[in-house]
Amino acid sequence: MKILTTLKKVVDVELNIKVKNGAIVEEGLQYVMNAWDENAVEASVQLKENKGAETTLVSISGGDNTDIIRKAYAMGIENGIHIDDPALTKADSFVYARILQKVYEKGKYDLVITGKQAQDTDNGQTGIILAQYLGLPCVSNVISIEVMDEQHIKVSRLGDSGTEIVELELPAVVTVSDSINQPRLPVLRGIMMAKKKTIKVMDLAALGTSNDEVGGATPKSEIVEFIAPEARKGGQKFEGDVAEITARVVDLLANEAKVF
Amino acid sequence: MAKVLVIAEIKQGVLKGSTAQLLSKAKAIGAETAVVAIGSNIELLIPNLVNAGSDTQYIADDPGLELFSAGPYSSCVVDAAKQFGANMIWFGFSESGKTVAPRVAAQLNAACATDITDVILKGDQIEVIRPAIANKVMQRIKVNTKQLVAVVRAGAFDSTEGISGTKNVVKLSSPAPDLKAVIRQIISEASGDIDLADANIVISVGRGAKDQAGVDLVKELANDLEAGFGSSRAMVDGGFMPHYKQVGQTGKIVAPTLYIAIGISGAIQHVAGMKGSKVILAVNKDPEAPIFNVSDYGIVGDLFEVVPILREEIKKIRR
Repeated sequence: MKILTTLKKVVDVELNIKVKNGAIVEEGLQYVMNAWDENAVEASVQLKENKGAETTLVSISGGDNTDIIRKAYAMGIENGIHIDDPALTKADSFVYARILQKVYEKGKYDLVITGKQAQDTDNGQTGIILAQYLGLPCVSNVISIEVMDEQHIKVSRLGDSGTEIVELELPAVVTVSDSINQPRLPVLRGIMMAKKKTIKVMDLAALGTSNDEVGGATPKSEIVEFIAPEARKGGQKFEGDVAEITARVVDLLANEAKVF
Repeated sequence: MAKVLVIAEIKQGVLKGSTAQLLSKAKAIGAETAVVAIGSNIELLIPNLVNAGSDTQYIADDPGLELFSAGPYSSCVVDAAKQFGANMIWFGFSESGKTVAPRVAAQLNAACATDITDVILKGDQIEVIRPAIANKVMQRIKVNTKQLVAVVRAGAFDSTEGISGTKNVVKLSSPAPDLKAVIRQIISEASGDIDLADANIVISVGRGAKDQAGVDLVKELANDLEAGFGSSRAMVDGGFMPHYKQVGQTGKIVAPTLYIAIGISGAIQHVAGMKGSKVILAVNKDPEAPIFNVSDYGIVGDLFEVVPILREEIKKIRR
């Protein structure tokens, strides 16, 4: 089984994010592998270890992604493709999906695993749009993957009414929830080996396409500005005799906040 | 004139509140409204769909649609959108909505926006506001296509009192089943639980509760208040609470009138799921817990002492 796993480099959401003049303040920002892609990598590596699958990652950016690619290598991914093109700094889900389509069509993959959303945009669209473009079956928000045979996998998905059990015919696309697994920490040996592995780097032309063709020149939507949300400030905090303060707060909830 | 198609959110035969909320917003921005309802034995819901504010009702009613399956559901939405001539297609914030919306957008070659909190029409130009980066910033997005498919954040739009619609039923032909993604079974959540997205009061339990006994204690408080009962990630991971009760960036995003966080430290991912609540009360024994930075009222204390007193005091006040 050949697996294609997607990786996105995103801003570290643990940091303080500031907005100035409608844009995110770059100073002090750090970038990491998207948390959900860590789950995707872990899921792929587990299929390699348990089912002998061959694993390849693809990462798309308008800049250097070497660090996150090496981390994925250190976790156990065998091959890596980096589509690096300056035109891609404004790509949206549809553009990413078109590029991923081109990458997919250049190889022979049975399963595409993506994280269910990117922690910077929280859009959750790219994997699903890719499946639509490729005409492949897709299940999102997956919490388990079981290989049934060469042609079929069984996945469970967190749906609205409960856990949905779906049988997929391969090739297919799956987007994974962070509930699917606990991503492993790269060990020193993996990190050392990762340093020696090659990364296949291509710009859009080398991939056989162009920014126009993937829709990058005319995005379906674009971010006009960033806005700092109304800060939720800490209100009243009570310490002391528990019986007293609790009674006090309940009184405030009823008479000040008027929620009871 | 804007034409908004709302996808009816139906759970266990009941029309959820989001449908009326989305239709109210559509009418408020001057749009013509339609609703599409997909499932089995849903014709009973037609009066509810009309009363929710739709002027046309597209109905896809088929035993084959009883279990959710993204492929066929997407086909029904695309069918309705084309027949109606929708320029906007809105889903409530559900797992079904989140997985169907991008498919519909890709099929229609429309723009797609998830988790929107507002829609602004400037003539033909559509703009939306949505949060990003774990709810830390908002984005204003300009749509360059004629059509927008959107998933609307839970509670972002309000229902209008006395809203009504017109009965105008259009039956959709049944879509082909998805032979490559076959839904075998849905292992149901316990029914009878109050849905977090609909609840006026939500009480969530966190790591401070330690174990099942602690969870059960907090659940009593939720029962007293007829509140939705939610969880932090920690308690789900610990196996004390089911997945679907997790409030947070990766779980449910809620905005009730009152949110009570019990034994929850206030990690960013959890706060992302509840900071839109009108009033937040936090109970935590650590005075430095980050949750106190976002709560309106904070009680520093051991929840095992506080919760029984809360129950007492609340009972007194509500008498």
